[in-house]
Amino acid sequence: MRHYDCQYYLNTDVFKGICKRDKSLINADDTACEKFMNAIKCKYCLNFALTSEELGLCMNKFDAYPEMNAVTCNDFKQ
Amino acid sequence: MKNKHVNFDAMTDNFNYYGTSPHEGILNRDEKKVLPTPRAEKARKNYLDTKSSVSVEFPYWYTRRWDELEGEIPIIRRAEALKTGFTHLTPSIFPGELLAMRKSNYTRGSYPMPWLSESFFLSKEEELYKEAQKSGKASADDATTMGLGGGNVTESIGNVLSIAGKFGLRKEEMTILIKTAKKWQNRSVEDLGHKYEQLVPGYDTKEEIMRAVICMFDSGYTLPQGREVINYYYPLQYGIEGIKKICADNRGITAGYPEMNRLYFYTAVHTMLEGIQIWIMNYSREARLMASLENEKQQKTEYLEMADRLERLSSNRPETFHDALQLIWIFHVAVLNEDAISGLSPGRLGQVLYPFWKNDMDKGILNRQKTIELLECMRVKFTEIDCFAAMGVVGGVLSGNTFNNLCIGGLDKEGNSAANELEMLILESAMSCDTPQPTLSLLFDEKLPEEFLLKGVECTKIGTGYPAWINNRVAMEFLLNNFRNEGMQSEEARAWAIGGCLETSAGSWMPLELNGETHFIPGGSAPATSVGVHFISLPKVLEAVLFDGLDQRTGRRVYPAHGLELDSYEKIWTQFKHYFSLSVEVLNLTNNIQHDIWGKVSPSIINSMLKPDCLDTGKDISHKGSRYNRTFNVEICGGVNLVNSLASIKKNIFDEKYFSLSELKFAIESNFGYRPAMETGSYSLTDQVRGADFVTWLKIHKLCLEAPKFGNDDKYADHIFREWQIWFSKMCENYRSLYDQPLYSCQISVSTHAPMGAVTLATADGRLCGTTFADGSVSAYPGSDKQGPYALFNSATCYNHALSQNSQLNMKIHPSVVMGREGSRKFLELIKAYLRKGAFHCQFNIVDSRMLKDAQKNPSQYRGLMVRVAGFTQYWVELGKQIQDEVIARTEYEQLS
Repeated sequence: MRHYDCQYYLNTDVFKGICKRDKSLINADDTACEKFMNAIKCKYCLNFALTSEELGLCMNKFDAYPEMNAVTCNDFKQ
Repeated sequence: MKNKHVNFDAMTDNFNYYGTSPHEGILNRDEKKVLPTPRAEKARKNYLDTKSSVSVEFPYWYTRRWDELEGEIPIIRRAEALKTGFTHLTPSIFPGELLAMRKSNYTRGSYPMPWLSESFFLSKEEELYKEAQKSGKASADDATTMGLGGGNVTESIGNVLSIAGKFGLRKEEMTILIKTAKKWQNRSVEDLGHKYEQLVPGYDTKEEIMRAVICMFDSGYTLPQGREVINYYYPLQYGIEGIKKICADNRGITAGYPEMNRLYFYTAVHTMLEGIQIWIMNYSREARLMASLENEKQQKTEYLEMADRLERLSSNRPETFHDALQLIWIFHVAVLNEDAISGLSPGRLGQVLYPFWKNDMDKGILNRQKTIELLECMRVKFTEIDCFAAMGVVGGVLSGNTFNNLCIGGLDKEGNSAANELEMLILESAMSCDTPQPTLSLLFDEKLPEEFLLKGVECTKIGTGYPAWINNRVAMEFLLNNFRNEGMQSEEARAWAIGGCLETSAGSWMPLELNGETHFIPGGSAPATSVGVHFISLPKVLEAVLFDGLDQRTGRRVYPAHGLELDSYEKIWTQFKHYFSLSVEVLNLTNNIQHDIWGKVSPSIINSMLKPDCLDTGKDISHKGSRYNRTFNVEICGGVNLVNSLASIKKNIFDEKYFSLSELKFAIESNFGYRPAMETGSYSLTDQVRGADFVTWLKIHKLCLEAPKFGNDDKYADHIFREWQIWFSKMCENYRSLYDQPLYSCQISVSTHAPMGAVTLATADGRLCGTTFADGSVSAYPGSDKQGPYALFNSATCYNHALSQNSQLNMKIHPSVVMGREGSRKFLELIKAYLRKGAFHCQFNIVDSRMLKDAQKNPSQYRGLMVRVAGFTQYWVELGKQIQDEVIARTEYEQLS
């Protein structure tokens, strides 16, 4: 699991960010710690289905991508 | 060749500086007296360690909603798409922030807008990009070098892809980006514009002009808005719910009545504001989440205060300075998210916010130190702003800058000095927290207090490059001439400010009510300026004249062959005017089409709402809802190289007959025996590599270099300069904009003098192939001004600057000349002397050129070094080498007398 996929990861840029819990600087692609929690992303949503490695469908009708943040999406279901 | 004694001393003799710099090591600028507050310093350090990053979030949601609404009225469809984009932006708040919200979920975040232009960010393998190359749009990209340091992501690394030479994109988002972009094929402003602009007679010539980089870029789908002053009045006066009520009331009285577009406009604004409210509330919730995770008491309190503030502002008008600053920031970002925009200037922000500030100070709920802290935080937020566009635009035109120009000084509604205490603090915060954004412009008027002017000089001296010094009276004269037919009077002309780097922009006084008092605050009341004909390379047009209409670099025909025997100076000058006019004609028509398409499929809703009188008339900007609409112009680049070249041709070939035109052309094609700049990687005259046969061309080259040059109070060159200026300003009025107004002239180079120089052969003034042109419009060519600053001022003011939207003079001064209080006074007198001669603008680099050379060699040691380029300040390490070389080569004044 990467920081990039963690709910507590706050990115500053495409490479890195900070941990919302302890404010430490972390790289997006480094391995996450034991407090890891799944980020709210399409890939963790029940309304999302992968169709290829980097693409999928949202609610069976909209193109979507697994890594997209869904924190503001009203249709996100875990 | 006629005999003439020529001094064959080392070629570098031509670039001696005016004066003598101290010989001991590099001299630093005046020391900064005050450091930034710890909070701002932390934010700035974080910024300096952050890379430009793009995300797909907004374009994804925008496109998804757009496609759902097939058949809907375009402006409603656009409002719904924008609303969906805003409501799905992931909020990000960092510890220590006092002002919340940003363009995207990254600190230096931005995103592509494929509804404007979809081709440029696709990989070279993609068919769309190949199509773009075929239509000539990739040429400016090819000629541009990006800065290799700082926040630019110039190479793909790990899971990050570099796109457009500057931005990082997570690899995981590339596939959806391409898929999203393809959905806009044949529907984007770029593609629809391209489809219809081909109907313009002479379109093929336009394509060749773009391919030859005689014109830098089309504005309609690259940067359709910007170079303008935002207006914060409506949110400050009414709050978001108040504006929604205005829209709702107006819907009621327009539904079913003639001019139904008003109904759709009010509905679109209402929808848009709902989206902004959700966006704000998402941030409010995020602030509460951050508070819940926070252990430090003060930080927790700040998060909760931020959450409360955002919640209030999502509906209500602001009551305090902090609230007002937060709200103007929200709307600034909202407009930037609406379109690809460079140069959205906050304008006279210190005068807009003064009533709130004074109120808080009087109540004792704010002090100077807290004000400085807030203003410093604001500076970092403005510096974070990135604009996603193609490399030729971001690098070649903008140098990564976004031109959020904050103006201070000028006159108030009654004609008195408008400088205030808050503006003094704005200057202080710009000194303590010296960042590129917002850059400052001081609107100089004789009525401004000396203390205020000296504070401005102090700020310039520490090397910030700002404030730029602008002549208030010249700007007002230009505005009154330009907008007379639209009813502008002297009183309203005083409300002007600079939009973008140096575009004089119309403003209005708006009645802000606070605590029972009415305060007339200034704000922009015209749409984007610097749309129309974007940067014509004058030396390249002259090159085409000399080579019978060909782009001699590529061998392609650009203009119809003139077939003339160019046996007199007058024939060359006449043919130059003919080719230039032909360029303006076809570029104006094609750009009118692009902007018309933009207004139809991607109209401005938020910015329209903010601009008087769109909300009163129910018309958006593209339907001339703004109070003033004569905003299309013709921009040029390389004017001084043109004039110097014409002076050399006139003097050497026709007056003195030292050599023939054929000999000159041969010398130009041979680059005077030097290796091309693109080959050596060196872009100024000071550091060039001779070829084996340079001696063959040495005499002609020396004669070209020694010909009369602009910037020396030399009547021979200045006469040509004046003739060009007067003709240019007049000829622009022969062409009509989309809004059926005459065009006008605009003279800024931004960074275009680099890529445009890169594709231009050697010129008759002795400049070598591929090297950067002179910057600005009245800056001397580096090293050619040898008679001191006052001679340069005389040359620069040999015509009426109010004929044009601007003029631009950059000077580089050695720090030793302006050291101490005495140096400040001497410096201020120099500035006043120039402006009193009727000049419009001057700006300064106070720097030892040896420092810049060292910074070029050791960039990692100079991450925070800033320099003034042309209308903007930028971090040295984020500039391309073409511009770096030009700034190093600029004449360094080591005495001012």
